[in-house]
Amino acid sequence: MSAMKIALVLAVALLALVSVAEAGVSFKSLNSSRTLTVQAKIQATNVTSGQAHVGTDHLVISWALNSSFDGTGKDARYVNVKIKLCYAPVSQTDRGWRKTKDDLEKDKTCSKGITQQKYVSTGNTTTWRITKDVPGAVYFVRVYAVDAVGTELAFGQTTDKTKTTNLIEIVPISGRHVSIDIAAAVFSVFSVGSLMGFLSLEAIKQRKANSKAGHFFRAAFTDIIRGHSVLREIKIIKSKC
Amino acid sequence: MAPQGENRTDADLTGEPGSSLHGVTGHEVFPYINMDTVPEEATDLKGRKFSLPVDSEHKAKKLKIYSFARPHMLTFHLSWISFMTCFFSTFAAPPLLPIIRDNLGLTKTNIAHAGVASVSGSIISRLLMGTICDLFGPRYGCAILIMATAPAVFCMSIVSTVDGFILVRFFISFALATFVSCQFWMSSMFNGQIVGLANGLAAGWGNAGGGITQLVMPLVYDLIAKNIGADNFTAWRLAFFLPGCMHIVMGLIVLAIGQDLPDGNYSSLKRSGDKVADTFFKVLQYGVTNYRTWIFTITYGYCLGVELTVDNIIAQYFYDRFDINLTIAGTIGSTVGLMNIISRPAGGLISDMAARRFGMRGRLWALWTLQTIGGVLCIGLGLLGSLGPSVVVLVIFSIFMEAACGATFGIIPFISRRSLGVISGAVGAGGNVGSILTQVLFFSNPSYSMEKGIMLMGVMAIACTAVLFLVYFPQWGGMLCPPSKATEEDYYGGEWNEAERAKNLDRNSLKFAENSRSERGRSRQEQTSDSAPSTRV
Repeated sequence: MSAMKIALVLAVALLALVSVAEAGVSFKSLNSSRTLTVQAKIQATNVTSGQAHVGTDHLVISWALNSSFDGTGKDARYVNVKIKLCYAPVSQTDRGWRKTKDDLEKDKTCSKGITQQKYVSTGNTTTWRITKDVPGAVYFVRVYAVDAVGTELAFGQTTDKTKTTNLIEIVPISGRHVSIDIAAAVFSVFSVGSLMGFLSLEAIKQRKANSKAGHFFRAAFTDIIRGHSVLREIKIIKSKC
Repeated sequence: MAPQGENRTDADLTGEPGSSLHGVTGHEVFPYINMDTVPEEATDLKGRKFSLPVDSEHKAKKLKIYSFARPHMLTFHLSWISFMTCFFSTFAAPPLLPIIRDNLGLTKTNIAHAGVASVSGSIISRLLMGTICDLFGPRYGCAILIMATAPAVFCMSIVSTVDGFILVRFFISFALATFVSCQFWMSSMFNGQIVGLANGLAAGWGNAGGGITQLVMPLVYDLIAKNIGADNFTAWRLAFFLPGCMHIVMGLIVLAIGQDLPDGNYSSLKRSGDKVADTFFKVLQYGVTNYRTWIFTITYGYCLGVELTVDNIIAQYFYDRFDINLTIAGTIGSTVGLMNIISRPAGGLISDMAARRFGMRGRLWALWTLQTIGGVLCIGLGLLGSLGPSVVVLVIFSIFMEAACGATFGIIPFISRRSLGVISGAVGAGGNVGSILTQVLFFSNPSYSMEKGIMLMGVMAIACTAVLFLVYFPQWGGMLCPPSKATEEDYYGGEWNEAERAKNLDRNSLKFAENSRSERGRSRQEQTSDSAPSTRV
């Protein structure tokens, strides 16, 4: 019965969680608000597309309000900007956990946040050293203009609408170290070696015991044969009585 | 058979020549006495006292879970912990997949292939393990396997390609064959009347390793990544040293203090003549030619197979269909694995309770009922469209399916005495084959939605469970047919030919036959207690 109760409590808790979640801003609604211009360069080579290495290279990201929107008042509510690293479509294929969804709350395209800055209409620049937890993939940079509570109001990105130009390929670390390789090898050898050692020890003990047992067997068998013949004689005597 | 109190002399306890053979050669020639119980102070062949009441084969008749006493309870704890270690390492990758897939650049197809690989390796190893247990004993089987797969676990720390990842998951899955040694060991140590519960507890707590790993591995990873400050892509690799070391530690412990049978290890018992040395081909022959082996392979394929499939797809199903957080989906997934702690032993207990009243027929009906209800609930899970009811149905479904797995291994020890290992291995492997078949048939076809796949899986489970109606034990009956006049000795003795019987090689099977009379059920038990004790010259 307690298993049933646990199941019911779990179900209620899940329902409660689901009811609290709200849908986020729709990306399509921001289409008309592509008011920011963004540029990202790989510092080492000063190019806007190409290969960047995790841990050593930096991305220089500069953003500003698009000059065509100057003075229109569109940026009245912008408080901060969020700069994010986003997956290009080629890195999203067959990977549902990076799927692009219209609901920005559920959208997984831009899961890596770079930084957050205060919004100024003249724009700003940031230099970001590519952190070691960034997976190897092809990216572009997107900047969201948000209000005080963090709701997205407008955006800008380094690539075009189809996300095929100006893409940056980031080369990751493998995570392997020589010390890990050596430790794995040592532990494996220890495992197999101690197993072999144990088995050989037992085999040697067995061989010793077998030779001893041989003597026991011979003695025991003679006892039993003698015992049998005694019993047979007793039976014959009993049957005669 | 243990020497009775009045027959023991001081000579037996001091180890004089001939005492090591006590209870074997001289005794076997005398007529068998039908003794179901042995006095509480029974001793093994070396004169050591047992702490639990035992039957004539020295198998325990009670289970004391809090005890670690040798040999029965210590064996119980060794076997479930080593099985749990293997489940832990086999399913250690899935909870860390979000990091691993980024490190290795895995796609969804790669992950699916790795999932299939992680259950296919154990098919081969479970079949092999069956024969190894029959010939060399469960202690060697378990220890050798667990220590030989430790290098594969350590290899997970050094993979850097997709193919490497799939290969390593394949090789680690060989370790799941410890299931067979675990069940074989329990069947060797515990009497038929509680074997269902013993098997269910050991397997259920072992299976729970799949749920435990989903909670522990992320914690270990967090510890290494945040507290020690290693990079993400290095931290997960270091985390795999935990299951690897668990393998080595458990392997050494099993070798050091494990014991094959209540009286000792196979090697020393073979030397003293208490354990018959059998041949590979004979053991294989009697396992393969027994049609019941194949019936239970099919039914277990749709019992454990369904459970393994659900383990693999359920988090994804909830995440995609109901759009919930991936962490919550993962927690729901781990619940299915953790349910095993209670539901599998419950299934074994239900089987034992049914046997007490109705004998083997009760066990068969209990299994059919549990598994069919599980199949119906699976269909229901596929048809439901809302989150709350789906979770509830999922939990109840996993309880019934896992109980059916427990009930299956309440019956397996009785199919054969000579080839117990081969049969356990074949049935265990059948579980994995069922899982692969289900995943290939219903979950890789793009035209089937996941809910349709789940529904069809339930239908197939019900259909495959129906073959249980074909099982018939001449001495106990089947689901629909009553027993014939055959006896347990006929059935188990029939596994040995004339030449072997003349050499007295079937004595262990006959002891088992005597102890298995409890499978006749209460009504027939009352009849047999009135009749004269069975004798064999």
